[in-house]
Amino acid sequence: MKYPEIDKYAELDSLIHRFDPRAKIITFTILIFSFVFIEDIRIAFVSLLFSSFILLVSRIPFGFIFDRMKPGLIFVMPFLIVMPFALDGNVLYSYNGISISYDGLYYGSLVVIRAATSIMLTLIMLGTTKMDTTMKSLHSLKVPSPFVQTLMFSYRYIFVFIDEFFSMWTSMKAKGFKVKANKHSLSIIGNLVGMILVRSYERAERVYHSMASKGYTGESRTIVKFKMQTADYGLAAILIGTVLIFIIYGMSLS
Amino acid sequence: MKTAISITDLNYSYPDGTKALDNVNIEIEQGEKIVIMGPNGAGKTTLFLHLNGVIRAEQDNVKIFGNNIGSMKTEDRIREVGVVFAEPDDQLFMSTVYDDIAFGPLNMGLSEEEVDRRVKKALATVGLEGFEDKVPHHMSFGQKKKAALAAVLSMEPRVLVLDEPTANLDPKSRADLIRVINDLNKNHGITTVIAMHDINALSELADRVYVLNRSIVAEGPTRDIFSDHVLVKENNLDAPDIFKFFKIMKCFGGDCDQTPMSIDESVKELTQAIEALEGKMSLHIHESTHEMVNDVISSYRH
Repeated sequence: MKYPEIDKYAELDSLIHRFDPRAKIITFTILIFSFVFIEDIRIAFVSLLFSSFILLVSRIPFGFIFDRMKPGLIFVMPFLIVMPFALDGNVLYSYNGISISYDGLYYGSLVVIRAATSIMLTLIMLGTTKMDTTMKSLHSLKVPSPFVQTLMFSYRYIFVFIDEFFSMWTSMKAKGFKVKANKHSLSIIGNLVGMILVRSYERAERVYHSMASKGYTGESRTIVKFKMQTADYGLAAILIGTVLIFIIYGMSLS
Repeated sequence: MKTAISITDLNYSYPDGTKALDNVNIEIEQGEKIVIMGPNGAGKTTLFLHLNGVIRAEQDNVKIFGNNIGSMKTEDRIREVGVVFAEPDDQLFMSTVYDDIAFGPLNMGLSEEEVDRRVKKALATVGLEGFEDKVPHHMSFGQKKKAALAAVLSMEPRVLVLDEPTANLDPKSRADLIRVINDLNKNHGITTVIAMHDINALSELADRVYVLNRSIVAEGPTRDIFSDHVLVKENNLDAPDIFKFFKIMKCFGGDCDQTPMSIDESVKELTQAIEALEGKMSLHIHESTHEMVNDVISSYRH
């Protein structure tokens, strides 16, 4: 079974992999929030190049990251398509009353570049740490427990749901079901999704019983063994320092 | 010998009013191996949830080593009874095997060193050394079953309750698991209560059998239970193949003192029977043999 594992390359060894997971979360969060507020497209583009450089250092295959960036990019791509037509400003090209504005193209591109940068950085952050370590880091960073537990169980059970979905899908195909663009197919797929929801509900109840049997009372207790090294402080300082340079340079341009 | 589990007049109905347990009475001694059998929907899982206090009985009618499980503190109740449910994916809810096995001990408030020791010991007991960092979706069903058992063993409970431990396992994994359960019972004094339909594993895992069908229908040694073919049929059960085979052999004149319940027992019984006949056992067909064989087969056929 091919699972959408985000931490498939978390076992590699690189500067980014060795970065203390808590420091990594904080530093990358600062990087992401700083880059999404960049107003100048040139600096935004440099920030995208800088993120690609971090990706190169992390040794995670580009293809792996780009594959996972696609859904996010498809979501923001309409901005690039719609904004040049919708936004007023310097007209680049006009035909039969439909005009493409420079400002629209500028801001549309800016949105896409910012999104690409932040998605890439998020994927590098998650891809260079094993998911359980990321959860433990969030826990030790005092992120509210219900949030961490929700994330943890979502990640744990997504694979179980994928297995359940495909076993039902295989069973449907074994009974001659073929997806067609008609009402019948839609209703069958609707039933399948409904069935997964019902099964999830039932499983949630069984998982809760199992947790209660092991003394769960709402608090998630876990063993965390992290230790910040000088190198972690150094890398955090370099990355945040670079961001500061981008911001200061951006401010000098405006 | 101490009484490990004492259930008196336990009743339970689902929120929609359906009766799940009706006047259930069970008494289990410390160190006993008990199997609970019954048709699907007989209330076995509901009974197990009462045993470790996840469902609290309205009256104080579930006692573990003399104490009412419903009024025990969480840390104490998980120290007494550990339940391994049928589906391992429901029990391995953490991201790694280590975290799953450490979950119970951490809730007991143990130190990190003690938790670590227990995790390693539990993994060694089930034969999964080196699986600490494995994620459940990379493990086989048999490995997940063993990890789910380890996640309960780490709490070092005095009573171990298992729901369908051998279901869907390949023969090797099934044999491994039976060996582990028996070792825990024999060498560590853990009382085991098992719900299962795997009748051919029964003799290895049961000193006594309870037949549950919302209420306790029958109780007794395995041989007595399976000798009552009406009881077996009425409760959707079946007798072990070897037991039925020796019943049939008896029709051909091959009689043993006791009808064996397992291969090991059959070797012992056959040897004794043949020795008593001075080294020779003869089987023969007489005029009523076929009729007797048909009676045996039809008495257990559903």
